[in-house]
Amino acid sequence: MNKKLDTLVPWLAYFLIFGGMIFVGGEHSIHIAAQIIILGLFALSFNLLFGTTGLLSFGQAIFYGLGAYITGMLAKSFGGDYFVWALLLAPLAAIFLSVLLGALSLRLSDVYFTMLTLAFAQLVWGITVKWSSFTGGDDGIQAIPKPDLLAGGLNYYIFSFIVVTVCIYLLWRLDRSAFGAVLKGIRQNPLRISFTGMSVFRHQLLAYVISSCFTAIAGGLYAGIDRSIHPDMFVWTMSGSIILMTILGGMRSFFGPLIGVAVFVLLEDVVGRSTQYWSFVIGAIMITVVLLFPKGIVGISRNFAGIFAKKGGQVDNP
Amino acid sequence: MSFEIFISQFLGGLSVAMLLFLVASGLTLIFGVAKVFNFAHGSFYMLGAYFSYQAIALFDNFWIGAVAAALGAGLVGIALEVCFIRRIAGREEEGAFQILLTYAFILILDDVVKFIWGPAYKTITKPESLAGSLNFGTVTIPTYNLFIIFLGLVIVISAWYVLSRTRMGKIIQAASTDSQMVGVLGVNVSLVMSLVFGVATAMGGLAGAMAAPLRTVAPGTGVEVIIDSLIVVVIGGLGNFWGALFAALLIGEVNAFGILWMPQWASLLSFAVMIVVLIFKPKGLFSQEKGRKKI
Amino acid sequence: MKRKTVSMLSVLLVCFTSTVSFSAETIKIGALYPMSGRGGLYGQDSEAAIKIAVGEVNAKGLPGGKKLEVIVTDDQSKPALAVTLAKRYITEDKVKFLYGVVSSGAALAVTEVSKEYKTIFVGTDHAATDLTANAFQKYYFRVSNNTFQSMAAGAMYMQETKMGGKIAYIGPDYAYGRDQIAELKYSLGKLGVKYEMVGEFWPKLYEPDYTSYITAIIKAKPDVLVSGFWGGDTVAFIKQAKAYGLFNKMKYFHPDGGGNYEVFSTLGAECPEGLIMSARHHNNWPETKENKDFVAKFKKATGRYPSYAAEGAYAGILVIAEAIRKVGNADDTEALIKAMEGMKLHQPEDPAGFTSYIDPKTHQMVQAQAIGVTVKNDKFPPAKYMLGKFKVYPADKIMATQEYIDILIKTKKK
Repeated sequence: MNKKLDTLVPWLAYFLIFGGMIFVGGEHSIHIAAQIIILGLFALSFNLLFGTTGLLSFGQAIFYGLGAYITGMLAKSFGGDYFVWALLLAPLAAIFLSVLLGALSLRLSDVYFTMLTLAFAQLVWGITVKWSSFTGGDDGIQAIPKPDLLAGGLNYYIFSFIVVTVCIYLLWRLDRSAFGAVLKGIRQNPLRISFTGMSVFRHQLLAYVISSCFTAIAGGLYAGIDRSIHPDMFVWTMSGSIILMTILGGMRSFFGPLIGVAVFVLLEDVVGRSTQYWSFVIGAIMITVVLLFPKGIVGISRNFAGIFAKKGGQVDNP
Repeated sequence: MSFEIFISQFLGGLSVAMLLFLVASGLTLIFGVAKVFNFAHGSFYMLGAYFSYQAIALFDNFWIGAVAAALGAGLVGIALEVCFIRRIAGREEEGAFQILLTYAFILILDDVVKFIWGPAYKTITKPESLAGSLNFGTVTIPTYNLFIIFLGLVIVISAWYVLSRTRMGKIIQAASTDSQMVGVLGVNVSLVMSLVFGVATAMGGLAGAMAAPLRTVAPGTGVEVIIDSLIVVVIGGLGNFWGALFAALLIGEVNAFGILWMPQWASLLSFAVMIVVLIFKPKGLFSQEKGRKKI
Repeated sequence: MKRKTVSMLSVLLVCFTSTVSFSAETIKIGALYPMSGRGGLYGQDSEAAIKIAVGEVNAKGLPGGKKLEVIVTDDQSKPALAVTLAKRYITEDKVKFLYGVVSSGAALAVTEVSKEYKTIFVGTDHAATDLTANAFQKYYFRVSNNTFQSMAAGAMYMQETKMGGKIAYIGPDYAYGRDQIAELKYSLGKLGVKYEMVGEFWPKLYEPDYTSYITAIIKAKPDVLVSGFWGGDTVAFIKQAKAYGLFNKMKYFHPDGGGNYEVFSTLGAECPEGLIMSARHHNNWPETKENKDFVAKFKKATGRYPSYAAEGAYAGILVIAEAIRKVGNADDTEALIKAMEGMKLHQPEDPAGFTSYIDPKTHQMVQAQAIGVTVKNDKFPPAKYMLGKFKVYPADKIMATQEYIDILIKTKKK
């Protein structure tokens, strides 16, 4: 199949669905769609670390929560007009924190890296819960003000859609750049990359910082959907569910994580509505996907195409 | 701090540590030997508590409950390994799919338990013989807590003996290093792995049954123990039973004394300990290999 | 190959936009409760109680021949999910009332939705005083009592029984745990009770092992241990502390959630005697016909005795029905609010001669509080101990004062 078409179709589908929502979506659909694109941005930036670079961080929620709390707390203290400025500060703060944490944790490998990122995130979560005079504790912060222009579900969705689209485009360009190729090389064989004279550590750190940056933007955006934020955004189950959604969707495809998020959020909405045994149903669906579609949900559409099978499953681009 | 307070706090920490170790021991076996990231280990702990509850309701005997918990959880573990985990073995990104699969087990087992036993809390009473407590001057320690400490020691010694002194243990260790090679030598590796998985989940189930008289048996209690167990396993070094025991002691005692000195922050100490350990010993306290990446 | 992706995504799009239409004959109430995990029991009991109440209301009839319909969804006690569900209830299911919510964190988020969409939210379970104080908004009502009421009654009990001296506190390390001790200290101060804090202990919520806390508490040698746990944590703490003889060394005082029925049904014969506790509803107090009937109806419907959560969920439906009857319809929200402000409603938990009412200013149900002591009582199996020797505190004496509300507004700025 035509390669150009290959890259165009997912983007087209993205615009058709999430752009189309602006014109056809009802209030609830818009709210769900906003959740999907924002969590989708979180998952896509997580996948830069995981699917692309091969680093399983179990603590990306730290940056999601950071983004949300910086945006929410600043907007709360300075007023809704500063919401967008606060949102711009979130990724900057994430850069500082991620350089520090990345430098410490990237020295470790495999599961030790995973556990160290988990520990940092849990520590920050604990501090957020305990330092209630500053952060609002586990009750979180409610009634976060937004500028009038962004009030209302639809306006905020359009705003989020624009921000998320720009971020996804940047991540997508990054994925196909020379830098992205190095990251994939690190995942497959770090030794070979270091033989070429490039620093594995520096590339990993950069990937970690970029990923955290976009995650913070997603968190900041989330502060505006419900206008309320909670320490839950830092906790390990948050990081965990992003990991699950990414794998479920397909971590070897650029848009896979977004599809994983969409399916997960919709399942929770639809299944949760009809049965209190939602977790059984979702668990069963997850097992089915794992057993039948080794490449995640994206693989469903590709399974019959055989082309990728010959390549031994090394599908890195959409 | 007087000596008595020290001893009392130390013994308290010891019993906390041993329960931590009981839960974590099965996880370190799966993690270190079978190389399976079993997120659902806590669910087997929960399942064990329910199996034990059911058996005690039928036979009115605590020890039958313990056997039922270990056997039941182990059998469920083997079934899940054979039906699901084995089928993704060798797949590219096996580890990621193991996370997804075992997380799905958590979701399913939580609901299965709620469906069978209902949402109300269940309880298990200590056996008559262990219900009392011993007093040394002003220091009190419940007999049951002493029993838990003893049980932890039995488990660590037998695990060490089986893994390093028996033929079976050597096969398991070899299979965890190079399963292909062991397979070529005529050993049925997948059978060994199923067995290891079964033993590990049985240990989880047993821990659940042993902890139940001190805790609440309720749906959702499985996920609550998983993070603490992961911490113990990682600090101790994957697959290292003595390491896990030491890590559990470290966490238990740091918490016990942290509660005295900084009660406000005590609940965060486990994470702080793990961060410090991993920064200075990147592969856990008891690893032979160099943990840092050679770059 | 891509076509399949596109077709799959278009199916998702259809899922998005499809809306369901409902008949106009029912008045919908959108309830949010945890139905799984640790809090699942409260959700299940609430749902059962709601069914009983709805059956009674519909049998009696509402103006215009309408019927109540309650939708219950699992909010997993997660604030973000609760908000999503609340918005869906309002915009898609067209509910007239939001209902329930166990977690205070989730309730604080849902009350914002209620304000934004001008939809009445009747809280039945969460206890954070904030909701009827600093986070109050006029579309919010609460039919169960808040922690301030429990702790104010607790302080009066302490004064009356001359408890005081050295006090230690242990409670879960989150807002619910922290609010309780702050409110108790405030009320003790108001009453002029002398005490000295000798320790505050903060295990995390759902902490499995309290051993190290127990040894530390014993060493602090308090006269009274005040406890702020709920549910399974109370059970685990009591089981572990009993073996250390903690209950022989000090008084155990647990005025908000200690006396919940699920604690007694789980502990059975292991429950120590003489613990001083209360709950938001007791199965054996008051011994009025209303309460006995309610407990019997619940037992008949579910086969088990209710936890405290059921009574609030039952009463809230009656409040809503009463308001609709007064106004004549469920469409005039402002009139419904007026009808509910100051509404008197006899509840199962009201002692003889008293009728609960909704405080017009804070929208908090004003209720009496009874504190008791654990005694042998096997009339509610599997519990072997229940509370007895109740002391009752009048409803109007334990409401949060304006002074306290001002403190909250100043310090919490919600």
